[in-house]
Amino acid sequence: MRSVVVGYLDTPAGHDALALGTALAHTLGVRLDLVMVLHDQGRASLVPTAPSYERHLDDLAEGWLQEAAAEVPAGVTSTTHLVRAETFAEGLVAAAADLEADAIVIGAGKEGTLGRLHLGSVGGVLVHSAPVPVAIAPAGFAERGVRSFGSVTAAVGTRAGARAVVDTAVATAAAARVPLRLVSLVTLDSVGDGERRDRDERERALHDEAREHAERMRDIALDGVPADLDVTVEIAPGPRIADAIDALTWSDDELALVGSSRLAQPRRLFLGSVAAKIVRGVPVPLVVVPRDHDARTTWTGVAPGGAHPEGTTP
Amino acid sequence: MSILKKSGVAADQTLSSKGLSAGSVGLIGAVVIGISCIAPAYTLTGALGPTIAQVGTHLPAIFLVGFIPMLLVAFGYRELNSAMPDSGTSFTWGVRAFGPWVGWMAGWGLVVATIVVLSNLAGIAVDFFYLLLGQVFSDPSIADLAANPLINVVTCLAFMAGATVISYRDMQTTQKVQYWLVGFQLLVLVGFAIVAFVRVGGGSAFDATAISLDWFNPLTVPTFSAFAAGLSLSIFIFWGWDVTLTMSEETSGSRTTPGRAATLTVVIIVLVYLLVSLASMTFAGLGDEGVGLGNPDIQGNAFSALAGPVLGPLAVLMSLAVLSSSAASLQSTFVSPARTLLAMGHYGALSPKFARVSPRFFTPGYATLASAVVASVFYAVMRFISEDVLWDTITTLGMMICFYYGLTAFACVWYFRHQWRTGARNLFFQIVAPGVGGLILAVLFVTTLVDSMDPDYGSGSQIGGVGLVFLLGVTILVGGVVVMLVNARLRPAFFRGEGLRAGVAGDEREGQAVLPE
Repeated sequence: MRSVVVGYLDTPAGHDALALGTALAHTLGVRLDLVMVLHDQGRASLVPTAPSYERHLDDLAEGWLQEAAAEVPAGVTSTTHLVRAETFAEGLVAAAADLEADAIVIGAGKEGTLGRLHLGSVGGVLVHSAPVPVAIAPAGFAERGVRSFGSVTAAVGTRAGARAVVDTAVATAAAARVPLRLVSLVTLDSVGDGERRDRDERERALHDEAREHAERMRDIALDGVPADLDVTVEIAPGPRIADAIDALTWSDDELALVGSSRLAQPRRLFLGSVAAKIVRGVPVPLVVVPRDHDARTTWTGVAPGGAHPEGTTP
Repeated sequence: MSILKKSGVAADQTLSSKGLSAGSVGLIGAVVIGISCIAPAYTLTGALGPTIAQVGTHLPAIFLVGFIPMLLVAFGYRELNSAMPDSGTSFTWGVRAFGPWVGWMAGWGLVVATIVVLSNLAGIAVDFFYLLLGQVFSDPSIADLAANPLINVVTCLAFMAGATVISYRDMQTTQKVQYWLVGFQLLVLVGFAIVAFVRVGGGSAFDATAISLDWFNPLTVPTFSAFAAGLSLSIFIFWGWDVTLTMSEETSGSRTTPGRAATLTVVIIVLVYLLVSLASMTFAGLGDEGVGLGNPDIQGNAFSALAGPVLGPLAVLMSLAVLSSSAASLQSTFVSPARTLLAMGHYGALSPKFARVSPRFFTPGYATLASAVVASVFYAVMRFISEDVLWDTITTLGMMICFYYGLTAFACVWYFRHQWRTGARNLFFQIVAPGVGGLILAVLFVTTLVDSMDPDYGSGSQIGGVGLVFLLGVTILVGGVVVMLVNARLRPAFFRGEGLRAGVAGDEREGQAVLPE
């Protein structure tokens, strides 16, 4: 059985991550692994470690994990793990590898404005180093009461890496049996000045190019996918990425996916400049997919028809 | 990460890794932590002057003798720590040996002593911060800014706030950085000593003074009062060394690692102390003019005066060494009162708020903030009522260390009082060594307390004809009793001995003093 690993803390951001992890596990029919990362003794360089304090921390952390597990609704299988690592991010990556998880889930933290995403220091490190997709819950997600996802949206760029995100989005939507929307964000600031008619023409050309690319991606992606998967293609133009995102309509139970940059090492996430803008602008939970992530291995534990979240019709 | 790798995933997909990642701190790591906690550069600059004011040229002798009570008590500390590992240390052990009241006061002593040293550390850091700026910009008037009480207090509070954030968020420097910092500190101290000796040989010393064998003879210190005062100060210079002894559970390698780490640490420290104190004395003499070590104006912070004449343009290195040493010590010292307050809150001896652990950083958040606030207020008040704040705080500190270390030593003797039958080893480490150490500290405490009533004691700070150090010591202890009585009223359960209570080694409650959940 596949799983999602939740980087849990007994903080608002931790509860957001728990809510997102639960919703993902519910939607996709996978196990929920709650992981709490404590500092490793090995890094102590200044402050002498006190074994008794460490034991006290272990007990406290165990208690927090149990409380969190108690909040997980029946129907979602959950496990709890206490892990020691030098950093929160390292601990999560290692736990995800050991638990063979398909994704890591974290909370964005309260710094995000207006319910939008903001990567804290942990999120920043994770999206630049994780070998699996990283799902980020916007601040306050726990209060939205989203129990499962009703639609999946993937931002499709024209650069390399688009394939991985589209494949993962298709796999996710198929596993969840929810509609998929492929979105191509078109920024018009590159159109430049000049005669108005010329600009309009160039805009149209960009627009068409984006649509063509998105449709091509769809066709490639849909090869071998259940025919009843509902896929739409949408072009979102705007002067800047943020405007393009604002131009889209988002529903509360939507899950967004974005690919990581070409700059990433193979199998590692790296947020490019466009993806970083998407992270900041999207008002729903966002999954950052590594450039060469093999989507065929994602959610493979889901038996056909394995997950039937209420309220979604295939 | 080590635990995860070691334990892997069990059959039931459980990663739980309770307990410690054993074997993570090696011999060198333990020595580095030990030296870092002692912070020799900071300790020397703070303690050199006040100790010389008490014992004159017998400074090297006192530094050597001062190690003896520290060693004896540290043996007891180690025994208690292995029998009852608890982050409340002196507090918990005091309660287990003598019951809630005495244990409470031992905890108070520890917390207050560390809070006093926090304020002194930050104060030294402020002096060197402005000295460093003055050196960097070649403008001595910048260094004088530290003498302005308002600028001084504001800067000190800023440093304290920085250290609090670092402690609260548990931001640690990497081991590599720490190795470099400790190495740099030792290198600068040794370099300082060598240059000072060279200058004495070359005739460019401030007041070349011939080293005499008598400097090493503790018996020729003129009065017992001076001897006691010097000794209580030199206990401060070894304070922090005991952590190397208690790191037993997490040091790697064989059972001998902690002992070897502690020995190596103390050998390095003693050599550096002797080298630097001899060099300072032979270079600057003990006159009360200029940079003479007998000059009261420089005694609160000796290196800030000596670094320039000795090292010339390289004096900036000394500023960096003391600053980094203070910063490291500030961080390691912060942990101690915070963890003890956490234990006191946990056992119901203080408000349960103190037992709060930050769910994000896993540090005793409330206790850390409380320590920082009290240390800041203490420093600010002292800066305005004392003419020589660094000196007075160091002297008070020596007294408070004698108080709570002495209580801890006696707690060891009393708790293990039936253990003498179990063999010579236990008799020595659990009863004789801490007993003798505790007695020495008790004598030092009483002598210092009585002598410090004299308005001329130490730096000569006084209020209404009574020495400031005496007033501080009494205020702190009486204040402790008052706070204890208030808590006894609010939280009678702990003081009735419900929960944590007195016992003796080998009784049925032996395992009780491990923070239960």
